[in-house]
Amino acid sequence: MRILILGLDGAGKTTILYRLQVGEVVTTIPTIGFNVEQVQYKNLNFQVWDLGGQTSIRPYWRCYYSNTDAIIYVVDSADKERMGISKDELFHMLREEELGDAILVVLANKQDIPGCMSLKEVHQALGLEALKNRTFQIFKTSATKGEGLDMAMEWLANALKNKK
Amino acid sequence: MTDSKYFTTTKKGEIFELKSELNNDKKEKKKEAVKKVIASMTVGKDVSALFPDVVNCMQTDNLELKKLVYLYLMNYAKSQPDMAIMAVNTFVKDCEDPNPLIRALAVRTMGCIRVDKITEYLCEPLRKCLKDEDPYVRKTAAVCVAKLYDISSGLVEDQGFLEQLKELLSDSNPMVVANAVAALSEINESSPTGQPLVELNHATINKLLTALNECTEWGQVFILDSLSNYNPKDEREAQSICERITPRLAHANAAVVLSAVKVLMKMMEILAGDTEFCGTLSKKLAPPLVTLLSSEPEVQYVALRNINLIVQKKPDILKHEMKVFFVKYNDPIYVKLEKLDIMIRLASQANIAQVLSELKEYATEVDVDFVRKAVRAIGRCAIKVEPSAERCVSTLLDLIQTKVNYVVQEAIVVIKDIFRKYPNKYESIISTLCENLDTLDEPEARASMVWIIGEYAERIDNADELLDSFLEGFADENAQVQLQLLTAVVKLFLKRPAHTQALVQHVLSLATQDSDNPDLRDRGFIYWRLLSTDPAAAKEVVLADKPLISEETDLLEPTLLDELICHISSLASVYHKPPTAFVEGRSAGIRKTLPARQGSVEEAANQEATVIPNQESLIGDLLSMDIGSAVPPAQPQAPPTSNVDLLGGGLDVLLGGPPDLGGGVAPSTTGLLGDIFGLSSAPTMHTPPKTCWLPADKGKGMEIMGTFSRRNGQITMDLSFTNKAMQAMSGFAIQFNKNSFGIAPAAPMNMGALQPGQTLEYNLPLNTNGPVQRMEPLTTLQVAVKNNVDVFYYACQVPIQVLFIEDGTLDKRVFLTTWRDIPSANEVQYTINDIKGNADSVSAKMTHNNIFTIAKRNVEGQDMLYQSLKLTNNIWVLLELKLQPGVSHATLSLKSRSVEVAPYVFQAYDAVVKNC
Repeated sequence: MRILILGLDGAGKTTILYRLQVGEVVTTIPTIGFNVEQVQYKNLNFQVWDLGGQTSIRPYWRCYYSNTDAIIYVVDSADKERMGISKDELFHMLREEELGDAILVVLANKQDIPGCMSLKEVHQALGLEALKNRTFQIFKTSATKGEGLDMAMEWLANALKNKK
Repeated sequence: MTDSKYFTTTKKGEIFELKSELNNDKKEKKKEAVKKVIASMTVGKDVSALFPDVVNCMQTDNLELKKLVYLYLMNYAKSQPDMAIMAVNTFVKDCEDPNPLIRALAVRTMGCIRVDKITEYLCEPLRKCLKDEDPYVRKTAAVCVAKLYDISSGLVEDQGFLEQLKELLSDSNPMVVANAVAALSEINESSPTGQPLVELNHATINKLLTALNECTEWGQVFILDSLSNYNPKDEREAQSICERITPRLAHANAAVVLSAVKVLMKMMEILAGDTEFCGTLSKKLAPPLVTLLSSEPEVQYVALRNINLIVQKKPDILKHEMKVFFVKYNDPIYVKLEKLDIMIRLASQANIAQVLSELKEYATEVDVDFVRKAVRAIGRCAIKVEPSAERCVSTLLDLIQTKVNYVVQEAIVVIKDIFRKYPNKYESIISTLCENLDTLDEPEARASMVWIIGEYAERIDNADELLDSFLEGFADENAQVQLQLLTAVVKLFLKRPAHTQALVQHVLSLATQDSDNPDLRDRGFIYWRLLSTDPAAAKEVVLADKPLISEETDLLEPTLLDELICHISSLASVYHKPPTAFVEGRSAGIRKTLPARQGSVEEAANQEATVIPNQESLIGDLLSMDIGSAVPPAQPQAPPTSNVDLLGGGLDVLLGGPPDLGGGVAPSTTGLLGDIFGLSSAPTMHTPPKTCWLPADKGKGMEIMGTFSRRNGQITMDLSFTNKAMQAMSGFAIQFNKNSFGIAPAAPMNMGALQPGQTLEYNLPLNTNGPVQRMEPLTTLQVAVKNNVDVFYYACQVPIQVLFIEDGTLDKRVFLTTWRDIPSANEVQYTINDIKGNADSVSAKMTHNNIFTIAKRNVEGQDMLYQSLKLTNNIWVLLELKLQPGVSHATLSLKSRSVEVAPYVFQAYDAVVKNC
């Protein structure tokens, strides 16, 4: 199974990747490029690609779309200013033909930060109601605290099983 | 179906297949695929399209796969500079890998990638690797700093990598020290300012010397090479360095030996005062050099080229080793020729007998080139070792008796030199030489023979017949033979005027009328005029005593030799050319030279002052000689003198056409010509002809013609004042209005009275320190001239090239960055028509006008000249001139922060290109 973790820079993608893989919080530096790891969840084996979110790297996301089963789209819930950009990038990506069948998981990350947007607000800000013909779900998470990730993975694992 | 089918491929192709294999989940498949990709890359197929897919294989725990991907990256990162950023994170991670091999591999690959956009991301990992606990990683990182410096010197300086590198010089591991010192040397050599960025000091030298004994042979080479760049502070230090590196001379690796020799040669220069120490050292240098000659021929050749330099610098070192340079029958030809060269250099009174018998042997070998050189060597021995001259000459005569064509020809060429060196000593052999006249078919031999006949015309009874027979085929002869014939016949005539008038007239008319070779024609004219004006003077000039020829004709110029000694054991010492002559993109900043001998300050000054002019600029100097004014005034009616009546009609024809002279006198290397014309070799800038600035009717009878010129950095306004009025004029003064470049008279005008009908020339020196005000057009200069009659005003245009200053050379790198920095809005294009000459001659012309060529490239048959110039007000102008050989127009692109000067610079280019 091939999964991409995408999102703007500083959303917490790399932290989530390693939280999933080793179950710990690791210190990360901006990912200029990509990380790829094998992640075991339940008895499923995922190849998870974490791509850098910098403006200069976003154009290369498309090199990774083919054969992708699922996308984990990470949003920094506290970064209200760039919610619009995040939305644009998301929809731009979803328009790609190669991702037509991909399952989408949106993670409203950094819920531990006070004053961040709620799940509903993020849902709205990203305009997720406009999504049609797409298996998707949104979760609120805090990668540093490890909250919400399990639920999201649980759902994703099931969704992937059903897809088969 | 149309023919377009041939252009569309039916199959998806290899690339497509590889792509899917690369994305395969199975590691083995992936590895196979990457191997296939590398294989295609190696045979030259373009597999750059697979870049993203290969990069995605980069994060793997399989070392083999990782190495392959790195290999691919080094090759293609440059073609995919944007996409290369995707590799950065993996490098960063790999630099923290627990396996030191992977850390080192990552830092090494990073250094090889050379993509501007990602270098900044690589600084942090590099910094960590420089402090890595593993010496293998540290030593790799040290080299990476030098590589990074090449990509972005600023980054290395800002990030403090130089300091870190310096710290590595005290590393506990000798290999790290060696690599750090190698990296530092490389950085120093590419320093844009020409100043070494990191100086070695006594303490670091000590550490290097300690590391020297422990590191690998190539590490030793690095250390020795950097030691050779170090200037010890006193003799004691130099001595101790010598003592500590002398053991290296016994090393099995030839590179170590040569590098050690290099250091010792340099230190000996410092220790020149201590003859005893140097003597011992010299003795120690000989055996290792001799040992090098028992290795394989390629190494021998390199050793011989280096020995050639050493022998020129210090002949004593190998003076007792003549025998090892004797040629072996199975030596390859390149080794033979090189040995021969060294044999001649080592030849002396003590060993000449041995050498001669060897050389005579060589002259009977089969290889023509070698035989020729051997014959020539005999001649050179004759000139060098005076007491042996007679023996050499008789050996040469023996060889001539063999009648082997090329041996005879070569022998005649050297005998000519022997005659020069020892006049009136061996003329008895002339008759033998004359016997072989018919067999000579090479120009050099023919020219030499003709010279001999002319030189000894009074002793060769049938000299006139011999020369006459040559004249029959005059037109078909090579130019050097023609020149010699001309001179020989004139000599003959001066020596035996009685029956040779017809002959000399014949040759003069051949040279001046039938030949289109300017050298020949001009020499003919000179002789003609000399003979017709004053035959006695002609005799003095043509038959003057010749300067002595030096013992060794092919010694390297001393400053070049010193520089090459500093480059022993490098390509420079093999080519015998300074690195700047063949390494592209290398800043000419640092030219190594030997340290000045202790206590001879003057010598040091001399050494710095001597700059070897390169061929190009020499030719440039000659071509731009301002000969017009130096031609002696032609005498319309030369008085016929004494027994010379040959001038008759011919001379008139000659004098009828003086423009021929002015236009066609090409420089010749003969000192004679130079003397007669009093040619000055100082290059001059193109000066436009004078134009009328103030017509007489506007100046109340005063006419002013003028132009601007620049000589030796001095701008002058060259004025001609003509008085067309009835009374004398006086009290002249001149003043300029404010102008764009602040041009002002450097001194008040001081001109005497101007009589009616008289013309006076006045050169007014100018400076650019005057008040500035922008004029339209930019180069307009408003002038007021006062005399006792009135004040007159006129405006003239300053040709912008007089404002180009002498230090307008931009450093290559600076040029590049500046060119990039100037926005394209400040770029102007122009087409120059009617260009004469090629890129080199154009560039030489430009140089005299202070337009400096910084680099030349050939792109698809077009010559691109990158040029810079600087105006007096410090405006830089950068230019790119595109020339196509055989096409008379060229495209010029100009970039400058003050682009408004462009049209005037274009005018200057037009003027310079068309008027030289």
